[in-house]
Amino acid sequence: MMVLKIRDLYLYYQTLRGEVKAVEGVSLDIEAGEALGLVGESGCGKTSMSLGVTRLLPKNVSVYKGSIELEGKELMTLSNDKFRNEISWKKISMVFQGAMNSLNPVIKVGTQVAEPLRVHLDMDEKEAKAQVLEIFDNVGLPPETYDRYAHELSGGMKQRAVVAMALIMNPPFVILDEPTSALDVSIQAQTMNLLKRLKKERHIGMIFITHDIALSSDISDKMAVMYGGHIVEMGSAEQVILSPKHPYTQKLLASTPRLRSFSQPDFIPGAPPDLVNPPTGCNFHPRCHMAMDICRERDPPTCYPEEGQRVECWLYGDKDE
Amino acid sequence: MRLGRSLLIKALSLLMVVIITLLLMNVILGATGFSDRMLSALVNEQVRVYRQGLLGTISNPDEITRIVAEYELTLRTAYDLDKPWIMRLPQMIWRVMTFDLGEAKTSQTFTGSTLIKDLIAERLPKSVLLITTSVGISALLGIVVGTKIATKPGSRLDRFFSNYSAFSYAIPTWWTGLLFIMIFAVFLRVLPPGGMYSAPPPTEPAARLMDLLWHAILPISTLVLALSGSWIYLTRTMVLNTAQQDFVNVARAKGLPENMVMRRYIIRVAAPPILTNVILGLAGSLGGAILTETVFGWPGMGLLYWNAIVTVDEGLIIALTFIYTLIYVIARMILEVLYVILDPRVEY
Amino acid sequence: MGFSARDALSEFWASRISKLGVALIIVLFAISAYVLASYPLNFGTQYWNKPQYWADYPKGVPPTWTQSFSSVRRPEHMILTTDVSQKKTRGNMLIEFNINFDLRADMFPQFTSFSLYKLTFYDSPPIIHLTLTKPDGSKIEDLLVEAVPFPSSGQEPPYVKYAESPLRIYLPGSPAVRNSIADYLRTEYGSTLTPLEIRNMGIEQFMFGSPDESGAFTNVVEGTYNIRVQVEIFNEEDTVESVKFVVGGQAFGFMGTDTLGRDLSVGLLFGFPVALFIGFITSTLTTIVGSVLGIMSGYIGGRTDNLIQRISDILNNLPQLPILIFLVFILGQNIWNIIMVLVVFGWSGLTILIRSMVLQAKQEQFIEASIASGASARWIMARHIFPQVAPFVFTQMIFYTPAAILAEAALSFLGLGDPSLPTWGQILERGFQTGAIFLGYWWWIIPPGLLIVVTALCFVFIAQGLEPVVNPRLRRMR
Repeated sequence: MMVLKIRDLYLYYQTLRGEVKAVEGVSLDIEAGEALGLVGESGCGKTSMSLGVTRLLPKNVSVYKGSIELEGKELMTLSNDKFRNEISWKKISMVFQGAMNSLNPVIKVGTQVAEPLRVHLDMDEKEAKAQVLEIFDNVGLPPETYDRYAHELSGGMKQRAVVAMALIMNPPFVILDEPTSALDVSIQAQTMNLLKRLKKERHIGMIFITHDIALSSDISDKMAVMYGGHIVEMGSAEQVILSPKHPYTQKLLASTPRLRSFSQPDFIPGAPPDLVNPPTGCNFHPRCHMAMDICRERDPPTCYPEEGQRVECWLYGDKDE
Repeated sequence: MRLGRSLLIKALSLLMVVIITLLLMNVILGATGFSDRMLSALVNEQVRVYRQGLLGTISNPDEITRIVAEYELTLRTAYDLDKPWIMRLPQMIWRVMTFDLGEAKTSQTFTGSTLIKDLIAERLPKSVLLITTSVGISALLGIVVGTKIATKPGSRLDRFFSNYSAFSYAIPTWWTGLLFIMIFAVFLRVLPPGGMYSAPPPTEPAARLMDLLWHAILPISTLVLALSGSWIYLTRTMVLNTAQQDFVNVARAKGLPENMVMRRYIIRVAAPPILTNVILGLAGSLGGAILTETVFGWPGMGLLYWNAIVTVDEGLIIALTFIYTLIYVIARMILEVLYVILDPRVEY
Repeated sequence: MGFSARDALSEFWASRISKLGVALIIVLFAISAYVLASYPLNFGTQYWNKPQYWADYPKGVPPTWTQSFSSVRRPEHMILTTDVSQKKTRGNMLIEFNINFDLRADMFPQFTSFSLYKLTFYDSPPIIHLTLTKPDGSKIEDLLVEAVPFPSSGQEPPYVKYAESPLRIYLPGSPAVRNSIADYLRTEYGSTLTPLEIRNMGIEQFMFGSPDESGAFTNVVEGTYNIRVQVEIFNEEDTVESVKFVVGGQAFGFMGTDTLGRDLSVGLLFGFPVALFIGFITSTLTTIVGSVLGIMSGYIGGRTDNLIQRISDILNNLPQLPILIFLVFILGQNIWNIIMVLVVFGWSGLTILIRSMVLQAKQEQFIEASIASGASARWIMARHIFPQVAPFVFTQMIFYTPAAILAEAALSFLGLGDPSLPTWGQILERGFQTGAIFLGYWWWIIPPGLLIVVTALCFVFIAQGLEPVVNPRLRRMR
């Protein structure tokens, strides 16, 4: 069952230097219980994507259009108030980058986690607390955590609390933006295990945003590679990791150092594109090792080299389209 | 009882401050020879009065000189003037701490007492009234205006208040007080030029209250003008910093209504550092109150202080300095307690 | 790092505020330089605090330029001197001086005074006669008659008097003058006013006015007045060098005068270098002490750190103004005491800030490298730590300067200033104490305060301009 269907999402910001085209015509499908790993370098637009879906837009937004369907219902036509009351946290919740700072330092952890229940569902304190304790148990947090403050928790515990908070209303869809980047490796492993278990137990659809392809492959069923505001490649995790089609994806994988290999990791020359004035045609062409003339001139088409895999690259396209 | 313990430590260290200040004050008085001079002057005055008294009863001049010399000697021993000042220290400190502060030279209470203790008891509430009202209004202004302009950084209102803060740093409070008096009391004649009540004050309670308010408008405005500038700017900065934090985004993502986000996630979090700066600004408001009371003739401790300077009343100045230190320390202690209550992150 | 001095300068210069601040400071320095060049250093004790020096100035009058905004014409202040005399014989021998002046105003002059310079006589001391002739012909004969006192015994002719300081007669204060006016009024107008009443009403209205229908002397007689000074001498060799007649105006100078007659523009000018001096010295000393102690505290740590922190803790817990008042009162009201007291209370804030900056800097790798290569603590502190905190220290110094100026002004206002050095705060203190506010003497109250504000502001502006240089986050994006 399709939980989230995004079609042609555009998100531009107005800045002093000009209009930043952060998200350029992104389309994605995510099924219930499926995790989509969104990978890419910093500044490629992954976080903007998440903000676009959860409607946490900054004040300088200039273009915000497209279609986002959640469980069959169109979200873009909803008013802000309706979105806030019916969708936020109830249907879509988020785990932000940097759990360290996601918790309000002066309010008890339990109170914060219970907040959505009390605000959106008008639950009384006792009932809400019961639910919070239940989910704490589910994520492996001791019940005393309810009365603690954020600074009293360890990194790993904070992470769990943030995850618990995201799931308190049992939403069908969660976006996780670099949820483990601030943690050390062992906690990272614990958190990933927790997430995988919760995904299976609650049948949650996820977008898992990270710059670390290897980490993404751990949990993702599908993977989408983002570059310069575009999704340049998408497919199942195996397809993307084992037979990457887009040159960027190939370079990304090649640049991962391998523990037992003697060869030097590869790197991608150049810098990420300027989103105010992106390059003409395919915006990867200045750094692409397989660039052709047509790449500079025309935007690449969407191609389907394999069942379930799609690429935006002239290498696979019909030049006459 | 972790809370209690940390507060106790804080209280003790503040008490230390008071004691050390007292000690240093007395050391300075002693080392500069000031206390010697003061006590000598006191002794001389008492001897003079004694001599005057004797002139009426005894006629033999030699006899008088002898008796007076004896008297002087007893006085000097009583005041420990025959010993070096260091010996006098413990006694002086004890006297001050038990509030045996002596007498004022020329000032008197409404009831005619010249005891410094009584003077302070009479004047203190009036100063407290002035200071707490002004601080309260300034803090309120600071929070309300500061948060308002923080929501729209860079707007005209924001720039206006940022400039206002910079300006008010450079303007002496007492000068604005002088200007206010000239404008409102002398030229426009709509407000009184000073004092706390009209002379004679109205007897009916409602009228009396109105009279008090009418007199209080200018001094309070002057103090508020001085304090609010930096507090508005401070609140603005703290709120802006806090509003950029991740947990505020999380709150919005949770679908919480905007005013709840404002209250719980921004103001509540920014409150402790704002409070710290209010604590620090307290020093300024005490000093500012002294100057404001002087300018407006507000019969509080500040005016008493000024009278003491003008009449060169050393005893009063020393006593008042000590009392001010005490008040300051107590006020800080209260605010520190508030701080600990507000911010669960605080540990000692 | 990587932000060169050039970049710093251009960043600083970029904002309008900085330019304004620098422009103001140049003006302040220029004025101060001018003052230092043209005024004696002991101006305070020699001139400002000597009321006799200001005796012939009008008291408590507004500046002359206020005339342009007022329909009421105020008489200008006139100091009329002449050394041109004629010897006459009219029964007695006379040295006669004539002084003429024009009066065109709607108000009476504030006062009149007469001074006589360097009298040399051989026999009996001369007698001075003054006659005032009004434009309408009305004459007050012998308005003033003054007999020079006999020389003291043991002196030999020629007797020289009034060589160092002149004979000065303040007409409103002279009973003889009042009597003459009473006589004049009786003869001319049949008035029965007694000298006492005349004193209470003020003699100027009778000297310079004419009565209206009700008999009150409200009209100013406009035109040319003549003062005839006749010194009756008893030896033809007697001489008088010069005489002076002062008609006290109702407006004076660029900034008016205070109740002692002091020309406020002069006092205010002297305040410029004093304010800058106090500001700079205090902030420099405070910054030096604060940063040295802060660096030591942060870098050396241990017992030094503890001690310094304890001390600054105590200082921070004290109410500033009451302690300042106490110390200045006990130690004495002189400028060095004031500066010292301000420094003692100023350094602790800076020390705490510097200390935390140093603690951070200490962690840096190159510090460890320095220690490993054998550098001494003092060398490291001076060569490595200090340059890192230097920009911040410099900004703080600029920021402290107005605080010092304001603190001194507050102390002066309370009467604790250095009496030998006129400052703007002291001028305001005098204004307050003499009730100038209640008399509406705005020219006494507004300018000194305004100058304090402007001076403080120019440093605030510069500090604001420096902020982006020191704090990279605030820099303008190119």
